[in-house]
Amino acid sequence: MSLATSIRTIAVWEINRSMTTMGRNILPLAAGLLILLVLVTVFAAQSGVHMQDGMYRIGIDDPDVARIVAPDSRFAAYLDSGPALWENRFAYDIVIMNGEVYAADTDKGRAALKTLERDYETYVSYVAAGEPDLFAAYPLWIDLQYIKSEIDFLATQSGQQVGAPAGARVPPTPSGPVEAVTLPPSAMPVSEDDLREHLEIGGGHPLKRYTGIISGDSAMDRLRTPSELSAPLPFDAIVLVFVFIFPLYFTSQFFMMSVMNERVGRAGEALLSTPIRASAIVVGKALPYFTIMLLIVAAITLFAGAPLTILLPLIPVILFFLANALIIGMAARSFKELSFVSIFFSTLATSYLFFPTVFANTHIISIISPLTLVVLEIQGDGFTAMEFVYSTALFFATSIILFYVGTVNFREERLFSEKPLASRLMDFISGGISRSHPHLSLSLLAAFTIPFVFMVQMMTLILFFNIPMPLSLVLLTVSAAFIEEFAKSIGLYAVARERPGFLTVRNLLLGAAAIGLGFLIGEKLLLFVTLAQITESIFGSVLFLSLQVLWMPLLLHIAGVLITGGFLLLWGRRAYGPGLVVASVVHSLYNLHFLSGALL
Amino acid sequence: MNARRIAIVAKKELFGLSSEKTIVFAILLQVFIAMFSSFLMVGLTAMYDPEAIEGYSTITYGVGYAGADSALIDEFEKRDDLVLHRMDLDVALVALRDRAVAAVVYVPDTPPDAEEPVTVTLYLIHNDLQSSVINVKVKEALQGYEKELREVRADRMTSFPVRLNFPESGSGENFFEFVYGLLIPLLALLPAIVSAALIIDLITEEYQRQTLETLISTPVTFAEMVWGKIAACEVLVPIQAGVWFLLLGANGIAVDNAAAILLHVSVGGLFLILLGALVALYYRERTSAQFIFSTALVVVFLLVMAVPYNPLNLMVRLAVDTAGPVHWLILALVAGATAVLGWITTVYARRIGEAAPPVR
Repeated sequence: MSLATSIRTIAVWEINRSMTTMGRNILPLAAGLLILLVLVTVFAAQSGVHMQDGMYRIGIDDPDVARIVAPDSRFAAYLDSGPALWENRFAYDIVIMNGEVYAADTDKGRAALKTLERDYETYVSYVAAGEPDLFAAYPLWIDLQYIKSEIDFLATQSGQQVGAPAGARVPPTPSGPVEAVTLPPSAMPVSEDDLREHLEIGGGHPLKRYTGIISGDSAMDRLRTPSELSAPLPFDAIVLVFVFIFPLYFTSQFFMMSVMNERVGRAGEALLSTPIRASAIVVGKALPYFTIMLLIVAAITLFAGAPLTILLPLIPVILFFLANALIIGMAARSFKELSFVSIFFSTLATSYLFFPTVFANTHIISIISPLTLVVLEIQGDGFTAMEFVYSTALFFATSIILFYVGTVNFREERLFSEKPLASRLMDFISGGISRSHPHLSLSLLAAFTIPFVFMVQMMTLILFFNIPMPLSLVLLTVSAAFIEEFAKSIGLYAVARERPGFLTVRNLLLGAAAIGLGFLIGEKLLLFVTLAQITESIFGSVLFLSLQVLWMPLLLHIAGVLITGGFLLLWGRRAYGPGLVVASVVHSLYNLHFLSGALL
Repeated sequence: MNARRIAIVAKKELFGLSSEKTIVFAILLQVFIAMFSSFLMVGLTAMYDPEAIEGYSTITYGVGYAGADSALIDEFEKRDDLVLHRMDLDVALVALRDRAVAAVVYVPDTPPDAEEPVTVTLYLIHNDLQSSVINVKVKEALQGYEKELREVRADRMTSFPVRLNFPESGSGENFFEFVYGLLIPLLALLPAIVSAALIIDLITEEYQRQTLETLISTPVTFAEMVWGKIAACEVLVPIQAGVWFLLLGANGIAVDNAAAILLHVSVGGLFLILLGALVALYYRERTSAQFIFSTALVVVFLLVMAVPYNPLNLMVRLAVDTAGPVHWLILALVAGATAVLGWITTVYARRIGEAAPPVR
């Protein structure tokens, strides 16, 4: 049987099986729940969310004033006479007497005051909207225009804050050429009736903003009164995460479960005994889920009216989810382990996708998440082929490696063993190390860890780059060193665990040299392909310091492995942790030394 | 039903959890979610608006002003965190793109007492965190200008709002509502959801691994086994939630009535666990059970949130100490519903246990 036919056989079989085991049982209840969901949503939309009801107590002496706060359920209002209110004033967070507002001097009192101020604004605009002369009540309209600007990644280099431009007191002089712009017209472009309608509906409705992300906006949406100028949270990404990532995560769960089900009660034994190759099984099983995920995303895209090109950056994300699902499904010992490990890693992956997108349009670093490309594409800016490679290379690389690891280990003795998670993962790694050419394997393994190392380091970069300058650099240096040392020594540890006799002085020296070389080659290769922009910044020089001269980092990498390996050799596997710490300290010191040299 | 045997099963499950160290992942997950949501609310705002924490202004933002003279200039001059630069619109827009100024306003030459409105154009940087901060500051200046214009045109107005005098409130965001109105109920509830997902795994695993026969061959009955698992999951709920409150306390966030909140969480958690157990007993297969349960969970939560005086709201009220004795009534109601669900589970489990094949 050719590979293509066997893949097709497995895929068809997978579809049939999941349809029969799940479909018939679930459909009636799922349909019922769906109807319930619609009903409950309608009910919730009418009733509103009653999460923060009655958080604040407010004492009022005037029923007219009480009407102002009545629509806000966060306030529990108590009407009483002035003297009685004053006597019990400590029971309230806010007291209003004779039009004077008194707030308790606590965090809660201040929070209540802020809320009351907003409610009062709403009330004032409500009254004004009823005026016959609209432009007497609303004499000022703001036309909001957004300008695109990207700051240089080097901006943080001088340690200045991204938020405030330095020297605001000095009038700025433009750096580039000045293009002439047409002055905005002074006349109101929208009719009075439309404006009144806009005020009555409440143009600043929070949901409207989110529907507007995908559909675009008209002249009417840009016009606001000053009180409608709510600070827009620049979190379009949150919506995208909900819309695109959750369905993907959910579907990948089914794949994970399908892999797990092969292992429960050795159900997959029959499959493994067929002449079909493991690669065909893995690809064939994954293919239906890949197709479904792609269809789901395409359907969402079409439904939202967004360009179909946003599917391109989502494909590596789908692959990444599937690859992780495969490994977790193969490694988890029990269902509960499966649940927690998968939820944990999907949260990590989601945040990796999400955090950078916050800086879309702002910061070049945002491109490391494929979701940013989606944001850019929806905005109509598009992305270049280079940006596509840059943001998706890590996802493609890690997915392919994970699929490879999964395929290599899709064998009876790995699938049906009952070992704990960590040692199973170790088995997976040592499964990739050949017995005849262990050093070559170690070298390749080190090179393969590079995409993962970069991914984790990117994560730390995102987490740390807003911490004040010296601290963020130190944190970044230390964590980067630790991650690299861990990645380098993992292969050696896995071998030492499986074949205790392997770890001799000679083999350690050879292995360390092989790993150091492999790591360096992998690092250089990936960097040249993708990360040129980040490496130019100061943060890049922390993460990828070892690129300037070749023999120095090679020695460093080898020394790091030698330290960890030496600990393993001398004191056995228990010394792995301490060895790792010592190696990281040495690595960090080296980096800090060079860095301070570069900074001074 | 024998309490001792239930305890034995519960102990076995808890032991299994601790030996697999899965609970570590569960806790890491919760920590991560808490960090994530706090980072979104507090971290991002604080990063870009130092005043949010410090309470006083240290940073001034430049604002480009183009167009005709107006009272808006005076409004800007009243503020010490905004510095106005008079410049031409084209130059100002380039400066904005360079981030040399944080915003640009263009004011037309419409007279203040004109028939038509004054339409000011405000340029901000697209989708940027800094724009959110500057937006708030410029908004206050514009509101001052609006007030002035309203006074000029006051004789054209017919009705007037009730006047309220507010005390000077400190500027900057206050995270009280986020912490007490969202984070605390979220943290209290996460352990309950985790436990409910856990019970499904525990029950379906017995079916799918076909370990039930071994279990039934011991003196433990099927219903006792189910209740043992439920007990193991339930124990984890108040413990985890309690640890959250201790951690919050260590961070200076005092939670009032913690004991009452834990009671609510325990009862609500038991309700969810029983729901999960019923779904798992019905499907006996993890994929289907988890799918149905997570959908049901969304329905239950939407419904609960839409009802006034729901347990989540009561947790908020209890945490800020504004809940009256009414919360005991709600607790009793939820406990009653949970008891009914518990009874159904027992009956259902007994029936399954009797229908199970005799021990070979």
